[in-house]
Formats: sequence, structure tokens, C-alpha cells
Amino acid sequence: MQLTVLVVTLLFMGIIAAYFIAAVQASDAPQSEINFDARRSRLIWSLLAFGAVVTVASLWSWPHAVRTTSDVVTVNATGYQWYWEIDKESVPVGKPVVFNVHTADVTHGIGIVDPNGRLLVQTQAMPGYVNRVEHVFETAGLHKVICLEFCGIGHHDMVSEFNVVSKQVVRR
Amino acid sequence: MNAAIEKPESSAAKLTMLLAGVVILLMMALGLIMRATQGNLIQLDPALFYQIMTAHGAGMVGAAALTGAAILWYFVGRYVELIEGIYWAFLGLFLLGVVLILGGIFIGGYGGGWTFLFPLPAISGGAWTSSAAASFILGYISIGVGFLLYYLEVGRKLISKYGGISGALAWPLAFGSGKPEDAPPPTIVAAMATTIFNTIGIVVGAAVLISSLVNLLMPEFAVNALLAKNMTYFFGHVFINASIYMAVIAVYEIIPEYTGKPWKTSRAFALSWSAILLLVMIVYPHHLLQDTVMPAWALVMGQIISYLSGIPLLAVTAFSLCVYLRGSNIRWDLASALLVLGVAGWSVGSAPAIIDGMISVNKLMHNTLWVPGHFHIYLILGEVAMAFGFMAWLVKDARATGLAGMDRVAFWLYLLGGAGFTLMFLISGALSIPRRWAVHVPEWFLQDRIAAAFGALVVLAALFFVSNYARGLGKSRSS
Ligand code: HEM
Ligand SMILES: [Cu+2]
Ligand SMILES: [Cu+2]
Repeated sequence: MQLTVLVVTLLFMGIIAAYFIAAVQASDAPQSEINFDARRSRLIWSLLAFGAVVTVASLWSWPHAVRTTSDVVTVNATGYQWYWEIDKESVPVGKPVVFNVHTADVTHGIGIVDPNGRLLVQTQAMPGYVNRVEHVFETAGLHKVICLEFCGIGHHDMVSEFNVVSKQVVRR
Repeated sequence: MNAAIEKPESSAAKLTMLLAGVVILLMMALGLIMRATQGNLIQLDPALFYQIMTAHGAGMVGAAALTGAAILWYFVGRYVELIEGIYWAFLGLFLLGVVLILGGIFIGGYGGGWTFLFPLPAISGGAWTSSAAASFILGYISIGVGFLLYYLEVGRKLISKYGGISGALAWPLAFGSGKPEDAPPPTIVAAMATTIFNTIGIVVGAAVLISSLVNLLMPEFAVNALLAKNMTYFFGHVFINASIYMAVIAVYEIIPEYTGKPWKTSRAFALSWSAILLLVMIVYPHHLLQDTVMPAWALVMGQIISYLSGIPLLAVTAFSLCVYLRGSNIRWDLASALLVLGVAGWSVGSAPAIIDGMISVNKLMHNTLWVPGHFHIYLILGEVAMAFGFMAWLVKDARATGLAGMDRVAFWLYLLGGAGFTLMFLISGALSIPRRWAVHVPEWFLQDRIAAAFGALVVLAALFFVSNYARGLGKSRSS
């Protein structure tokens, strides 16, 4: 997913940059007779239409939806300066896991990283609130929990681990 | 402009740009030190790293705001008589703020980030005292008060000369039957809009700063952390964006000198600035997309408005500049090249910003290096490029004409360095490397080091721009 985002972004950046390069190169060309106001309207309407499609497609299923079905595995995670306290050592593959994220002091951010170092999901840990976020793990293995909100001089040290295991071996 | 008819705004702006130029250089050096530390090229104690990070963030945002303010004041002074004393009071309060901020950071040890996210300033885990945090916060308040004075003066002059807020925003042209000939010049429209939204931003910022200050002195005075976060990001988003919106005035005013074609207020222009005025104030929830307790409508709004904010930028500012450039026979020199680069960099940088404003993408990119990736594009290659362009223009009479020699080399160095440096941030973000980590793991060192090398090119080019500016000031003074 992240690499797709990177490629798509670079594509858009390239298009915008190319537009500027073309304009700069045309600066000593003769003045053109093109009707730019009509072009501008077309650009605005296409951007609006494109945006409407992307908005609906990307929000159709709510990205922060949290299931409440009986097979949900709940994990409570609390951030402290500067460590995580997590009430489960392992969670199952293929089942919805809901993280209830708390903090005991300042704002932290929980980030779950897979064995390849890829960020899977995150949410903030806010004083006075419980942010909930769901993830269905696809691969077993040792996952890392990191901090994704700056919380002081030990911010980068807030690294914990938990195991994602195939369904049979789950234990408390 | 001829020295004999030099207006007072001009010496104030020249001094400000010199100060800001030096600050930008120093802060860039701090940025380079951070990137080199992350790449394990040098070793820094994490406490010091986070102090440097705080200084770099606050210093750069401050320098960007200062250059924007100097540009706006300089060019608005072409249309209305501004009281010079107000500017000096603004600059004095700004410098007082800088002293308090630097003292809080490097004497008191405050390293809670430029965003002072409540309650971190008060709960440092022993890293800094509350007086250090208080000094930092008082420094912000001092700068805020200076800005409020500044905008009060600009706002009141624009309102009285251009027929109220609606007149200065060219609403008769945007929404009525007003004619383009009767509309105020682009500079005035931009100045009026930024004056309004940045004043509101600063007032909200002051409220959360004062709450944080009271909380530092009396910890039993509790603040709702989510409310404070909303206010902080409202302020932060508005304030940093205002600096770009102020700096773009330099493009409206200077580029016509290089083409002989005036830059006029059109209906699209007027409409786009009214849209900006609204959008810039309701887009900030894109900073809270990972707070699942936020009302869903606010997050949806954050996503949609982030996208919509791109439209005035791309379809009006960028599009108009590109149309304007075609067949313009623009003369290129360091100033015009940097100003055009500024708009291009700003526009290009909006793509990664908008994409990160999508909730589902944000879940994977938020607070990774993707975030500094997108904003360094429109700051290094956007706002700061415009500021350097303005500086080059201020001393252009003392310098060679055309884009040749070292000017040309430095321009391309800056562009190459800036592009490479920010691209490495984006790549690192896509590889899930978190932002604001003093210590990186060895798998990340290579990217960090490549980024540091590109960053060094930026610093070199900036060193050239600033020293050349200083030399130009010296020359024009003696001639
Ligand atoms: C040579 C040029 C520059 C270099 C090498 C540089 C480097 C850096 C680095 C390494 C970080 C921290 C990244 C992290 O989160 O791990 C950073 C953050 C930041 N930079 Fe820069 N930067 C440069 C120019 C600028 C400019 C021109 C601006 C603004 C006008 C700017 C504004 C910021 C801000 C606001 C932050 C966020 C600080 C925070 O997260 O608290 N930087 N920069
Ligand atoms: Cu943290
Ligand atoms: Cu923002």
C-alpha cells in the first residue's frame, strides 16, 4: 500500500512539475491564442469530479470502523513516558484485533509494525480519551509496537513487541 | 527602485530579510546536523537532538513568518501609508520572542517540539523545568502580540482605503457585478485575506498558549487535551500557511517587472482568495485523522477540505502563473527564477500533502518521515525560495543581470539539493520510518546519509544566496 501511495504521489508531482517546465520553456514562444479561461474551468470541474469519486471510494467503508462481533480480540495498550504496557503477549492471525489505546501521561501514538518493518496501523494515545482502532493481521510473527507521537526525550525508545500467531496456539 | 526615493518600508524589509536569511542558514545547519545524526554520521545526545529539533521547527516557522511579513509590509506600503513604528514594534517583539525561545531551549533545556502539544511542556519526564517551558511559551506569546499589532495596522489601513473587508477582498468582483478595473490589486486582496485568517489563527494560538502557561504554573488547572490539540493544530496550520500566502505577494509584484505584463485581479483570482480564506481555517482536522474519538464528520471534513484546498492553488495560482509565463518573454535572473520556483515547489508539494490528508493513507503515513517530506517541499522549494527570490530582487541593482555564473550554479544546486532531500523524506516515509526519532536503526542509515548529502547542497546554495544578499546590501549602500 505505502509503495503504491509513493508511486501515485510521484506521478502527480511529476505532472505538476511538467506543467511548470512546459510553461517556462514556452516563455519565449509567441503568445498563444488559446482560451485559457475555458481551460481553467475545465480543469476545476475535472478536479472536482475526480475528487468526488476518490472521496466516495475512500470513505465508503469507514477507515476507522471497529467491529463489535464476538470474535473480536481486544488488546489494551497504555503509553507511559517511555514504554508501552500491553495486556496481551499474542494475538491471532486472521481475526479482528481491536486496540484500546490509553495514555498515562502525555500524548503518544501507537504504531504496529510487521516483521518486515512495515507500518500496519496506528492511532493516537490521548490523555483522557481511549482511541480504538482495529486491524486484522495477515501474517504471523513478531510485531513491534512503536511510538508515533513525539512525547519527550525517550520517544524513540518506546519499542515493545507482541506475537501474532496462527489461531491454534493463542494463549492469554 | 531608486535609492533617492526609497521608502521607509524598504530599509525595514531589507534588515528583516538579512536577519531572517541568517536565521534560515543557521536553522538549515541544525537540520543538517539532525539528518546526519539520524544517519549515525555524528553522535548527539537525544536530549540535545530534541532541543535542536525544537529550535529548528520553531526557528524555521518563525523565519518563514518573518519573511512573509516583511514581503507583505513592503508591498502593501506601495498602496497605503503604513505607520513604520508599528513595524519596528513588531520586529522588537519578534526578537524578544526569539531570545525567550532560545533561552528556554538551550539554557532551560526545553525540547518539547515547536508544536508544544499539551501536556508535554508540563510533563517532560525530568528533561526540562517548567520555567524553561514557560520561557518558550512566553516567547511565542511575544511574537504573537507583535503579529497582532502588525495585522491591526495592515487591516485597518486596507479596510479604510478599499471600502471595508469586502472591498479589499474584491467581493464586488467575485460575487457581484463589480468590474476588474475597480477591484483592488492582487497584493491587497492577498494581504486582506491573510490578515483575517492569521489574526484568527494567532488569537486561537494565544488562547492555547495561555492555557498551557497557566497549566505549567498551576498543574491542577486542567485543560482538555483534545481541545488543546484542535486549537494547537488550527493555529499551527493557519500560521505556517499564512507565511506562504504572504510570500506569494512577492510573485504578484515582482514578476511583472520581468515581463512588462501587469498581474491583475481577475474574477477567478478574487474567488480563489475568498475560497482560501475559508478553506485554510477549516482544513486543520487533517492533523487529527488518527484521533478516532474525534467526530467522524470532522475527519471527513479534514479529508475533503484538504483536497479542495488544492484547487485554488493548482487551478488559480499555479495555472495563472503558467499561463502568464507563456509568451511573456520573461527575463530570467536569480530573483525571477527563485520566485517561479517558489510557486512550482509549493504546488508540487501539495500532492503528497493532499494524499496524506486521506484517512486511509494517513493511517500508514501519519508521523512517518512522509510528513516532513511534504512540508519541506513547499517550505524549502516554496516559501523559502520565494523569500530568497525577494532578497535577490531587493539587491538586483547591485548585481549582475541575467541568470549566469554562480547565480545559475547556486540556483540549480538549491533545486537539486531540495528535490533530493525531500524525495528521501518521502521514500523513507513510504518505508515506514517514523518522524521525530533522535536515533535510527542501521537499516535506515543509508537513506539518512543520502538525504544529508542533498541537504548539504541546500545549505551551500543558501549560504551563497544570503552572503550575496549581504554583499549586495553593502554595495547599494556605498553607491
Ligand atoms: C537544508 C535544509 C533543511 C534541512 C537539512 C532540514 C532538516 C530537518 C530534519 C532532519 C527534521 C526532523 C525530521 C524528523 O522528524 O525526523 C526537520 C524538521 C522540520 N523542519 Fe527542516 N530542514 C531544512 C529546511 C527547513 C526549512 C526551510 C523549513 C521551514 C521554513 C523547515 C521546517 C521544519 C519543521 C517545521 C520541522 C518539524 C520539526 C518537528 O517535527 O518538531 N526545515 N528538518
Ligand atoms: Cu512518543
Ligand atoms: Cu495542516
